[in-house]
Amino acid sequence: MTGSRAAGAFWSAETSGTARAGRGSGRPPAWSLAVLVVSIVYFFLPLLGTAAFAFSTGKVFTLEYLAQGLTDPDALGSILLSAGFAVSTTVVAVVLVAPSAYLVELRLPGLRPVLDFVTILPFVIPPIILTLGLEEVYGIRGIFNLVGSPVLLVGGYFALTLPFVYRAIDNALRAVDVRTLTEAAESLGSGPFRTFLRVIVPSISTGILSAALLAFTTIMGEFTLASLMGYATFPVMLNNTYASASREAASLVLVSFMITWLSVLALALVARRSPTARQVATAR
Amino acid sequence: MARLELHGISKRFGDQVAVAGFDLSVEDGELVTFLGPSGCGKTTTLRITAGFETPDTGSVVVDGSEVTGLPPNRRGMGMVFQGYALFPNMTARDNVEFGLAVRRRPPAERRRRVDELLGLFHLEHVAGHYPHQMSGGQQQRVALARAIAVEPSVLLLDEPLSAVDAKVREELRTEIRRMQGQLGITTILVTHDQAEALSISDRVVVMNSGVIEEVGTPARIYAEPRSAFTAGFIGAMNELPVRVASRREGLVERAGRRFAAPGATELPDGAAALLLVRPESLEPIEAAAAASEERPVLRGRVDVQTFLGATMRLFLGGVVWGAAAEGDHEIEQLAVDVPSSAAGRWPVGTELSVAIPVGSSRVIAARTAAEAAAVTRRPGSART
Repeated sequence: MTGSRAAGAFWSAETSGTARAGRGSGRPPAWSLAVLVVSIVYFFLPLLGTAAFAFSTGKVFTLEYLAQGLTDPDALGSILLSAGFAVSTTVVAVVLVAPSAYLVELRLPGLRPVLDFVTILPFVIPPIILTLGLEEVYGIRGIFNLVGSPVLLVGGYFALTLPFVYRAIDNALRAVDVRTLTEAAESLGSGPFRTFLRVIVPSISTGILSAALLAFTTIMGEFTLASLMGYATFPVMLNNTYASASREAASLVLVSFMITWLSVLALALVARRSPTARQVATAR
Repeated sequence: MARLELHGISKRFGDQVAVAGFDLSVEDGELVTFLGPSGCGKTTTLRITAGFETPDTGSVVVDGSEVTGLPPNRRGMGMVFQGYALFPNMTARDNVEFGLAVRRRPPAERRRRVDELLGLFHLEHVAGHYPHQMSGGQQQRVALARAIAVEPSVLLLDEPLSAVDAKVREELRTEIRRMQGQLGITTILVTHDQAEALSISDRVVVMNSGVIEEVGTPARIYAEPRSAFTAGFIGAMNELPVRVASRREGLVERAGRRFAAPGATELPDGAAALLLVRPESLEPIEAAAAASEERPVLRGRVDVQTFLGATMRLFLGGVVWGAAAEGDHEIEQLAVDVPSSAAGRWPVGTELSVAIPVGSSRVIAARTAAEAAAVTRRPGSART
C-alpha cells in the first residue's frame, strides 16, 4: 500500500489501470505500450511545442517572453482574479455541498435521486446557455439585478463545478459508514455540528480535497462564463493577448500548467499527511 | 449506574411489526441479554432504548425519569456497535477521549481517565494506533472503553462480538463480564448467540417475532424452558412427540406406554405435547433393562459420533420407544451425550438403549406451525 491510495478516488482510476497492465503474463502486451506512447505524444507534443515557442526567438533560447508575460500587470492581475474566483467558488461549493450530501445520506435518502439529477444538469447545459439563463434572472431586466457583482459569476461557477464536487464528496461519504459513525458520536453526547466537523469531515477529507482540487482547476481554466460576463480572468486575458503577443501568451500558458500541477502536487502532499495516509505509513 | 425500565414498547416499520408490548425492568448493575433470531426485534428495542428509534407506543425510563423524547446525545447512555464504529481519523486514545472532550472535562482529568480505561482493557500498547492498524478484538475493546469513558447510566451492546473470531469472542465476553461486574454498570447485550447469552448474563430475555417469549436466569432458562421456542433455541435439545394421558396424574403416553413427566399437569388431557430432554440427561443402559413408569426407555442405532471435548455426542437413528414393536420408527434422530472416555463402547452401527431419568425431562405444548418455522429459520442451529 502506497501513499497513492490516500490521494483518494481522484487517482484510483490511474493506479488500478497501471496495476492491471502490469499483471498477467509479466510483460504488458504490445498494443498497450503503443497506446501509452501515442497518449504521451498526444499530451506532451503540444506542450513541448508551446515551450519551444515560448522560450525561443525562433533561433535562440530566451526567458525574455516569460519575464515580459509575468511582469505585465494585466497578466498578474488576471491570474489573481482567476485565483480569487477559483478559491471563492471552491470554498462556497465545499461548504454548501458537503453538509447537504451528508444530510441526504443520513436523513433524507429519498432525495438522493433528485440530487443526482440536479448535479448532473450542468453537464448537459452548455455554459453559454447557462450565462443567458443567469442574465435572464439576475441581469438588468431580471428579477434580482446582480449585474457587475462578482457574486453572479461565483454562482455560475458553483453550478459549473457542482457535478465534480458533489460526486467526489458523495463517493467519500458512501465509502464510510456515515450513519453508524454519526450514531456513535451521538451516543457519546456529541451534537450534530460537532459530529459533522469532528467526525464526518475528517473521515471524508480526501474526498473533500479531490472535490476542491477539481473545482479549483476547472475555474482556473474557465473561459466562456468569464468572457461573456466581462471579466478579464486568466484564460480571457490569454485569449486577448494571443494575437498581439503570442510568445508571451505561450509562456503564460506554461505558467498556468505549472499552477495546476503544483496544486495537484499540493493535494497529494496534504493527502499524504492526512491520518489515513499516516496510518498506512506507520503500519509499514 | 441506573435502573432502566421499558414500558409497553411497540414499533412498526410499515406494516412490519418490529416490537410489540415490550415490558422490562433492568436492575441497577444488572446484565440483561436480549436473545433471539434475526428479525425478532431485539436490536430495534435496543435502538429505542438508545434513542436512535422512536417507539410508536411506550416509554423508556432511567432512574425514574422518562427519556423517551430525548435525543440520543442527551440520554447519557453508552453504546457499542456491531461493527465497532470507531472514528477512523482518530487514534485509540482520541477515540476513548471523544466523549470526555464533548463534556468539556479538563485536559488533566481526561488524560487520567483515558489512561485508566486503556489500562482496564489492556490497550496501552495500541494507544497511538489508528483503528485499521488494530485487530478486531483490539478495536472492539477500544469501542468498549470509549463507551464506558463517559460513565454512562446504561451500557448498550449491539451484537458486540459477532465480528470477531471464535477465540477472541470467548476472551472478550469474559472480559465484558469482568468489567461489567467490577464497574457495576447496568448493561443490555443484544445477541443471537445462545452460548454468549447464557455465559455472561444475569438474566436472559428470549425474544421471538417482536415479543418476549420468556425472561429468566440462564440456569432456569436452560433447565426449564417454558416455551417450545425457547427450548428449541437454547442449547441442544431432544424433542419427542408425546400425548398427555392424564393431566391429574401428570402422565404422558407414547407407543402404548404411560409415564410421568414434569409439566404434564399444566396441559389438557389428550393434548399433543413435546417431551424435552437434553442430550446430557439421557442415560445409556443395558438393553435388557426394563422400562417403567418412572423411567421410559428409548432404543436406536448409533449413526454419527461427534467429539465435543469432555463428551462425545452420539446421534441415534431409527429410534423407537423401549416397548414399541420393531419397525415402529417414530423419532428421526436422538442426541445422547456420553463421556468421551466411554464412547468407544458404542461405535457407529451399534445398538444403544437409553433411559430418561426421573425429573430430567419436561413436557410443553407442541409448537404451532409458525413457531416451528421461526425455529428452523434461526442461524447457527444447535438443535437436534
